[in-house]
Amino acid sequence: MSDRTVLHIEDNEYNRKIVRQLLSRTTYRLLEAADGEEGLAVAKRELPDLILMDVQLPKLSGLDATRLLRADPRTANIPLVVVTSFALSGDDRKAMDAGASAYLAKPYSPRDLMALIHRFLPEN
Amino acid sequence: MALINSPLGAPVRAFARIRASVHVKLLAGFLLITFLVIALTVVSLRTVAETAREATLLDQAHERVVWSRQIEHALAMQMHFTSMTLLSQGEEPVSLILRENNRFNDTLARLETAAPAEERTLIQAIRGAQDDAMATVADIANAVRDKKLAEALTALRTRQEPIYQKIETLVGSLVSAEESRMAKLRQSLAATRRQSMRLMTGFAVASVVLALVGGFIISWSFILPVRAAHGFLSDVAAGRFGGTVVVPNRDEFGALAEHMTWMSRELHRLDDEQRVAAATLRGLNDRLALASRAKSEFLANMSHELRTPLNAILGFTEILLDELYGEVPANLREPLVDIQTNGRHLLRLINDVLDLSKIEAGRLELGLGEYSVQEIVEVVHASLRSLAIEKGLAFSVRVAPGIPAAWGDGRRLTQCLLNLAGNALKFTRQGRVDIDVSHADGWLTFKVADTGIGIPKEEVENIFAEFRQVDTTITREYGGTGLGLSITKRLVEMHGGRIGVESELGRGSTFFFTVPLHADGGPA
Repeated sequence: MSDRTVLHIEDNEYNRKIVRQLLSRTTYRLLEAADGEEGLAVAKRELPDLILMDVQLPKLSGLDATRLLRADPRTANIPLVVVTSFALSGDDRKAMDAGASAYLAKPYSPRDLMALIHRFLPEN
Repeated sequence: MALINSPLGAPVRAFARIRASVHVKLLAGFLLITFLVIALTVVSLRTVAETAREATLLDQAHERVVWSRQIEHALAMQMHFTSMTLLSQGEEPVSLILRENNRFNDTLARLETAAPAEERTLIQAIRGAQDDAMATVADIANAVRDKKLAEALTALRTRQEPIYQKIETLVGSLVSAEESRMAKLRQSLAATRRQSMRLMTGFAVASVVLALVGGFIISWSFILPVRAAHGFLSDVAAGRFGGTVVVPNRDEFGALAEHMTWMSRELHRLDDEQRVAAATLRGLNDRLALASRAKSEFLANMSHELRTPLNAILGFTEILLDELYGEVPANLREPLVDIQTNGRHLLRLINDVLDLSKIEAGRLELGLGEYSVQEIVEVVHASLRSLAIEKGLAFSVRVAPGIPAAWGDGRRLTQCLLNLAGNALKFTRQGRVDIDVSHADGWLTFKVADTGIGIPKEEVENIFAEFRQVDTTITREYGGTGLGLSITKRLVEMHGGRIGVESELGRGSTFFFTVPLHADGGPA
C-alpha cells in the first residue's frame, strides 16, 4: 500500500512550511492548498487520508469547505482536523458542528499536531 | 361650580379683582358683620327705650286715675261725715272731716305735680270748689255747735251738696281725661311694639342675607384661585409643563398664580433643555457603543492576525529545537528558548487582551455545563507543578471530600484558578502555595494562599483593576500581563460569585473566589 496522503489547506505560507518540514521526515505524502476552493477541489480529486483545514481561508471559509466535504459521500468519512482560531469564541463548537473529526487551537505546538496526525493516521 | 356660573359669579370675580390683600378683604368682611351686629343692637336698644318710656307714661296715667278715685272717695267720706255731724251734733265727725280734707288735699297736690299742663286748670277748679266746700263745712259745724240745726241743714242742702256735685263732676272729667290718655298710650305702645318687631325682623333678615352673600363672595373669591392652582399643579405633577394659572384675583392669590405660571414656564424650559440633553447623550451613547463594538471587533481581528505569524514563530522555534532541521549548536539553543519564552508571553498577552475586550463588549458567553471541581484543581496542579519545583516551593492542593458535580463554565473557572495560583507562585520566593476548595450551602470557595511578598493595604482595592500590579517594576521582574486578576474577577462575577483577597505585606496573600455550585442558567 502506498504512503498515506495528508492534505493541508492553509493560506499562510509559513504555516504551510512548518507542516511541510514536520512531515518531511515521515512517510506521509503531503498535498497543499492555499484557499478554500482549491482545497475543496484537491480533496475531491485526490481523496486524501487526512485533511488539515484552517478556519480562516480566502474565497471559501474552512467551516463551509468542511460542510461541503461532509455533504459529498466520497469525502464524508475522511478524518478532518480543523485548526481553529482561539480568537473567535465558539470556534471549536462550530468546527465540530460543521463535521470536523477534531480541532486544534492556533497557535498549536507542532508536537501536538504531529500527535493528532498519528492518532488519525498511524504511520506504516 | 354651578353656583359660580350663576349671576353670583360676577360679583365673586369682581371682588377677586379688587386690588387689596387677603388680610384687608377678610378684615372688611369681619367689619361688615360687626357693623350689622352693632346696628341691630342699637335698633333693639332704641325700641326697648321707647317702649319703656311709654310704659312709664302709662303707669303714671294709671297712678293719676287711682289718685282721682281716692279724691272721689275722700269727697264721699267728707259728705258722709258732714251728715254725721248733723246727726250726732258732736265734735268728733268734724275732726274726721278735717282728716278726709287733708287726705283730699294731699292727693290733689300729688296729682297736680304729676298731671300734664292741660289738666292744671281742672285741678285748680277742683281745689277752689273744695275750699268752698270746706268753708261751707265750717259754717255747718259752727251752726251745729250753736244748735242752729235748721240753718245747718239749709246750708248743707243749698250750698254743700251743689259744691260736692260740682267737685264730683270735675273729678269725673279728670278721670275720663286720664283714662282716654291711657287708652291712647296703650295704642301707641302696641304700635311701637309692632313697629319694632317689623324693624328688627327686617334688620335680622337683611343681616343674615348680607352675611351669607358676603361670606359666599369672599370665600369663593379665595376658593376659585385655589381650585385653579389645584388643577394646574395636577398638570405639573403629570409632567405637563408650560401651562398658565388664570385667576381674576389681584391679591396674594393673584401673586401666587403669577409665580406658579412663571415656575411652570421655567419647568417647561428646563424640561426642554433636559430632553435635548438626553437626546444628545443618547446619540453620544449610541456612537460610543458603536465605537466600543468597533474596538472589540478590531481587537478580535487584530488578535487573529497576530496569532497567525505567532503560530509560525512558535512553530518554527519548536521544530528547530526538536532538531527537525538538524542538530542545533549548543550556543544557539539558549537564544532559541528565549524566542520561545517571549513568543509564549506575547501569546498570553494577546489572549488576555482579547478576553478582556470580549468581556467589556459583553460578547463573552459562558459555556455552561457540568464540571468536576476535582478535575479543575488537578489540571491547575499539573500545569504549575513544574514551576513550583523549579522555584523550590511547596505546592499542595486540597479539595473537600463529597463535593457533587458542579454546573458552570469549567474551562473559564480553570482559567481563574490558574491565574490565582500562577500569580501566587510568581510572587512567592520561598515557602509554599496552597490551593483549598470547600463547599457550603450551595457555594464553592476556591482559596489560594501563599507566603509571598503580600500587597500593601492601599493597593488592595486596586488589585483587580486592569493593568494593575503593585509596582510596575514587578511586571518586569515577575512577568505577567497585569490583566489576569481583572479577567478572573469578571469571570467570577459572570458566574454570580465574588472575589476577594486578604494580605499582609511581607507575609503573604490569600486570594479566594466563591461561585454558586449551580451557576445561573444551570439546572436547579
